[in-house]
Amino acid sequence: MGSSGYEPFLQAYDVNISAGTTVLDALHKIKDEQDGTLSFRRSCRSAICGSCAVKINGTPKLACKTQVIPEFEKHSTVIIESLSSLPVIKDLVVDFDAFWHKIHKIEPYLNPKEDDKDLKDKDGWWIIKKEDALKTDDASNCIACGCCYSSCNTMDADREFLGPAALTKAWRFIGDIREGKTRRLSKISDEHGIWSCSRCIECTEVCPKDVRPLTAIENLRSEAIKKGITDNAGVRHVEAMVDSVRKTGKLDEAAMTFRTLGFMRSIGMIPLGLKMELHGKMPLPSLFGTIEGIDEVKKIYDEIEKENLSLHAINREREEK
Amino acid sequence: MRYAYYPGCASQVITKEYSTTTKKVCQILGIGLEEMKDANCCGAGLMTDYNYELSLALNARIFAQAEKMSLDIITICSTCFMVMSRANRDLKEKPELLEKINNVLKKAGLRYSGNVRVKHFLFALIEDYGLKKLKKMVKKPLKDMKVAPYYGCHILRPSYAEGFDDPEKPSSLERLIEALGADVTHNEGKTKCCGFQIVLVTQTTAVDMIGKRLKEAKDSGAQCIVSPCPLCHISLDSYQGEAEKRTHQKLGVPVLHLSQLVGLALGISANELEFSRHLVSPEAVIMRFSD
Repeated sequence: MGSSGYEPFLQAYDVNISAGTTVLDALHKIKDEQDGTLSFRRSCRSAICGSCAVKINGTPKLACKTQVIPEFEKHSTVIIESLSSLPVIKDLVVDFDAFWHKIHKIEPYLNPKEDDKDLKDKDGWWIIKKEDALKTDDASNCIACGCCYSSCNTMDADREFLGPAALTKAWRFIGDIREGKTRRLSKISDEHGIWSCSRCIECTEVCPKDVRPLTAIENLRSEAIKKGITDNAGVRHVEAMVDSVRKTGKLDEAAMTFRTLGFMRSIGMIPLGLKMELHGKMPLPSLFGTIEGIDEVKKIYDEIEKENLSLHAINREREEK
Repeated sequence: MRYAYYPGCASQVITKEYSTTTKKVCQILGIGLEEMKDANCCGAGLMTDYNYELSLALNARIFAQAEKMSLDIITICSTCFMVMSRANRDLKEKPELLEKINNVLKKAGLRYSGNVRVKHFLFALIEDYGLKKLKKMVKKPLKDMKVAPYYGCHILRPSYAEGFDDPEKPSSLERLIEALGADVTHNEGKTKCCGFQIVLVTQTTAVDMIGKRLKEAKDSGAQCIVSPCPLCHISLDSYQGEAEKRTHQKLGVPVLHLSQLVGLALGISANELEFSRHLVSPEAVIMRFSD
């Protein structure tokens, strides 16, 4: 039940449409000809402003970019609903406050380096190479429509999660070579941040601008590891996997559990572990063995880490510990 | 039909029954599986978080091995499928990246030319084997068995990789269930996430997701779920007790591996399908189809 005290309901409208009619055209037609009270957001009609995102047959899409006939042909109906994970104000209009609050949380503006002679020309202009600009190019295309936010599976279970849009915005700045010293990366490494993403890939799938938020989250995770922001379960989980494959060529679930949770929390897993053992499912490390071509795997690791000196340094430090 | 068989790490140990029963099913159907015993882990996506190029190079090692065998890769794990097809797409689409990765592989005496396809077992059954042919092989139609199809994420998304089904409206599991004679239920959360990737990181969030998926399947009137992914199976089966604790209700939804559902209809006995390895026993659902 919504804050208004009414249960949400669907209402059917018959609309005459022709080839090329968009869902937004159809909504306008309903409002003009049948029901002046129908509320929805819209502005540019050309997939730039990001106002008209709604769920169409269950998938978040821009109403202005989606045609009615192909939707009807695929689903035999066109059901239009408000976005998920945001409270409904009226009809198709949702409250974006939580969405914007999270964008603000990552401080969505550049904090440039004080002075970087290598990156500036003699007149003081930043010189950005094409390959550097391309790193954040996809992220720059975000129009903040909320499609990814609505489809995000972690968001559905954890409303505190920063979410794909805010994290993509964070990468827009963290991946920028002009970015100076900020605490941005360590802030988003905390709880409800980059390590809470369950990699459901809905964000990348539904994005109407092909921004690929999951790739931005993966980039942020790599960057956090490189910068040594590693004191959390998310990084321990990754490191356990990286080390397991380096040593055996395979993924060792037992080691993953133990290293991710640490000693104390692993004890809490013992009852489940015993239950799994009863069914022959206890992932004992000894069962894994090592692949025959482990030397090849090690050579691949060495070659890549040689190219990435920061990774090499982190690994050395870890091994010394 | 012959493939380079990549079971993935989970189905070599925890969900071993998924791999052994896949082999039994393939033997009956005449699908040849040459197991890639020396293949490394695909990285399960976590390797990408660490370093994208390392993940690519490790996957390219797997592809190079399949190329040597002159076979396409078949896997029974949706996450392996997603990771491998994403890597394969990147390598095939960007020749300069392939060259760079090949320079890394050279140190290990390997080379990948970009000629391998990666398939999931479900898609091989439908695209390569064919449901008509499969239907003819059914010995015990799963009459009146109500099955909730559960795709999860990685078998469908991202569709820009080497996808097969429509992530918005998938139908392959439904068509398979029907071909085996069982009834499909309308499972609301069939393309949603099982939370496996964060079950060790943010367990309460993951267990909440698991509870939702089980509840949706149960509400659809299903007697069991069928899953094409061993990791989803671990979430939905092994962690079901945790989800029951969090939701304060008995869920009791058995989860069958894809191969077990097919195997049951092909007449393989319950014993041989190793249902005893599940934490939530499917006995009540499957007994009438097994000798």
